[in-house]
Amino acid sequence: MSLEISFIGILIGSIMASSVPLILAASGELITERSGVLNLGVEGMMIIGAISGFALMVITDNLFIAIVGSMLSGVIISLIFGFLTQSLLTNHVATGLALTIFGIGLSAMLGKNFVGIPGKEFPILFSSLRESIPFFGPILFGHSIILYFAFTLPFLTNYFLKKTKLGLVVRAVGDSPVSASNQGINVILVRYCCILYGGAMCGLAGAYLSLIYTPQWIENMTAGRGWIALALVVFATWSPIKVLIGALIFGGITILQLHMQAIGFRIPVQFLSALPYLMTIIVLVVISRDSRKIKLNTPTSLGRIFYKEK
Amino acid sequence: MATDLRISNISKIYPGCIANDNVSLQFKSGKIYALLGENGAGKSTLVKILSGVISPDNGEVFLNEKNLKLSSPLDAKKNKIGMVFQHFNLFETLSVFENLSIDATEDNKSLRIRINEILKKYNFSIDLDVPVLNLSAGQKQKVEIIRCLLRSPKVLIMDEPTSVLTEQETEELFISLKKFCDEGILIIYITHKLKEVLSLCDEVAVMRKGKVVSVSQTQNERVETLANKMVGQKLAKIKKKINISKNKDEIFKVKHLNFYSDDPFETNLINLNFSVKKGECLGIAGISGNGQNELFQILSGEIITPDTSIIFRNKEIAKLNPKQRREYLMAFSPEDRISQAAVPELKIYENVALNNFKSSNFFEKGLVNEKKIKEHSKKILSDFSVNTDNVELKSQFLSGGNLQKLILGRELITAPELLICYNPTWGLDVGAINYIHETLIKINDQEKSTILISTDTEELLKLSDKIAVIYKGKLSKIMPSEEVTPEKLGVLMGGGSID
Repeated sequence: MSLEISFIGILIGSIMASSVPLILAASGELITERSGVLNLGVEGMMIIGAISGFALMVITDNLFIAIVGSMLSGVIISLIFGFLTQSLLTNHVATGLALTIFGIGLSAMLGKNFVGIPGKEFPILFSSLRESIPFFGPILFGHSIILYFAFTLPFLTNYFLKKTKLGLVVRAVGDSPVSASNQGINVILVRYCCILYGGAMCGLAGAYLSLIYTPQWIENMTAGRGWIALALVVFATWSPIKVLIGALIFGGITILQLHMQAIGFRIPVQFLSALPYLMTIIVLVVISRDSRKIKLNTPTSLGRIFYKEK
Repeated sequence: MATDLRISNISKIYPGCIANDNVSLQFKSGKIYALLGENGAGKSTLVKILSGVISPDNGEVFLNEKNLKLSSPLDAKKNKIGMVFQHFNLFETLSVFENLSIDATEDNKSLRIRINEILKKYNFSIDLDVPVLNLSAGQKQKVEIIRCLLRSPKVLIMDEPTSVLTEQETEELFISLKKFCDEGILIIYITHKLKEVLSLCDEVAVMRKGKVVSVSQTQNERVETLANKMVGQKLAKIKKKINISKNKDEIFKVKHLNFYSDDPFETNLINLNFSVKKGECLGIAGISGNGQNELFQILSGEIITPDTSIIFRNKEIAKLNPKQRREYLMAFSPEDRISQAAVPELKIYENVALNNFKSSNFFEKGLVNEKKIKEHSKKILSDFSVNTDNVELKSQFLSGGNLQKLILGRELITAPELLICYNPTWGLDVGAINYIHETLIKINDQEKSTILISTDTEELLKLSDKIAVIYKGKLSKIMPSEEVTPEKLGVLMGGGSID
């Protein structure tokens, strides 16, 4: 009995760990999209974050530098996107797709010399509590600081958007950049900031993968998580809390179906592998049915190019 | 303290068009000034310069003899110039309070107190915590005005403020504006509606083709003198002879039209019934957003509703799509010229070809018969006096009036039995409006019918034989237009009832 309970606790802990990169990337992208910018380069920014975090860790042997560096690399690569879409007024969708392709290629090239190098152990917090408290121990304790950050991030994002002046400005820009500009808001600057913030979070999400979740560098190791994060933002109808729920469901079903495959359920493996995608979409569609709320949350100007009259 | 605003030698040149040509004007507080002109006369450019949205190529603006540098909207705000744009600058998905707080410098609590003071002082009733998209156009305008008032402006510029308002709302607005004026705010009122100038303003400056052509006291002006100054030529008066058509056949009959939508941007329609006789014009009045969009889309076949019966020339057409309806000789002119009626990026003849019913032979074996379409387009351009004969021109380069003529021409050249149009003269200047009104009257004279959905009461009274009002998706009773007055329409459009 107690064995089963502690197993469930460990299972929940691992589900939480697997959903961290999704929460981070999706929360970042959510802010970007709320300002009206559609950056499809999430996957590319994540993988760049993953390789630069890992490379910096190997070179400097300092995890702090590695984490900060991965975020900076996300900022730099998103700056390319920002410059193209906001200053040169290129199409958001095409530029974002190009960014992903660029990121995957660049990371593979940079990562050549880092394949096969073992990662470093990332410090975990409250490891003694994890062992001593049954069930809740493995859920609440013994995680990296990034995980705690990731789980508070959706609430912070929600607070930022709903309660702060800056959040209001971001929403206003996403609603109507022309009106915002006529109100004297620097639309381009706001959008740049949101794009760079999104880049930083995607970089961090990548670093979580290569430094903490599976501490090593493997080519293409984000494996489509960036796309899932993008889809989460849309299906969660731009609500940070629903992004968290969606990420947990996706992570949860991913882990559960792996266990089911291991146990040998008589369900085709292909169906089990598709299950996380299917369930996440179903659940998010069901909890986001209120068309009124969708209208109010959707950034009206999403993906549209804004240029200032002169 | 008195305010004195002076514009000196302002010029703004766009490629191929001089929007403002050496404009100089002077305004003093205590008076309401009208800036009158047709579309494209340069009024909007001038107010955009005054509000810092665009910068002039030449010229200066002085406020109380201080030279203002207006390089961004912030500069205008700092200098206490407030502006209410024709197309509202509001954030639809944010609440009223959020809209007002976005550029406020004080904390939310004291801001709310100040807003409530303004609401009380001017008798505005607006719920501060609902999203702006739930408000009527009149309320949205009030939000814009409050936003200006919060900054205690010296100058308040209103850009075509009544284009979306009912008669009553217009009256309320005028009362408020007069109050502001008495409080020492300098008011500049931009419009192309002559009657408003005469009833509200003290002085009027008329602009034509980027230049100021006259400045005068309104008491010395009449509608005709102002119109002639504005257009630069004498305008013929049009008056419709009302068709007494009791014995004519019903050509179009709608029964049990219901429409229900989850979308908060759409209006539900509740049991509409009406009919149109041969050679008759049925006008449907209402403030925009009361279901006209949905009604137009249902009549044109863009939306198919269950259980609705639409009989046209004795055939049931409720389940047919727009193309099939066109084949039965119906024609449509939607409100939004740019996005619904025409594709701006396409050339004129390509836009004409979009309307491809079977008889036109524009397409043979899946190929485009360019020659035929171009000939056909040329005929439309000359028959409907569109200001170009180049069918290769992209439609986006046509002015609103010319584009509307092209669209009407495209629809009418097939000699339809019924034309349904929605705000056909929206945003057009007097000359183009006159032309389109004449055209619509001509259709009725040729025993063809029209349904005119419009937010412009004057237009409806001029063109309709029968008028009904749509309010919150419900249709009032249908009245012969000689029994209808603007006041009656205003009451019905605001949700009141007559009798």
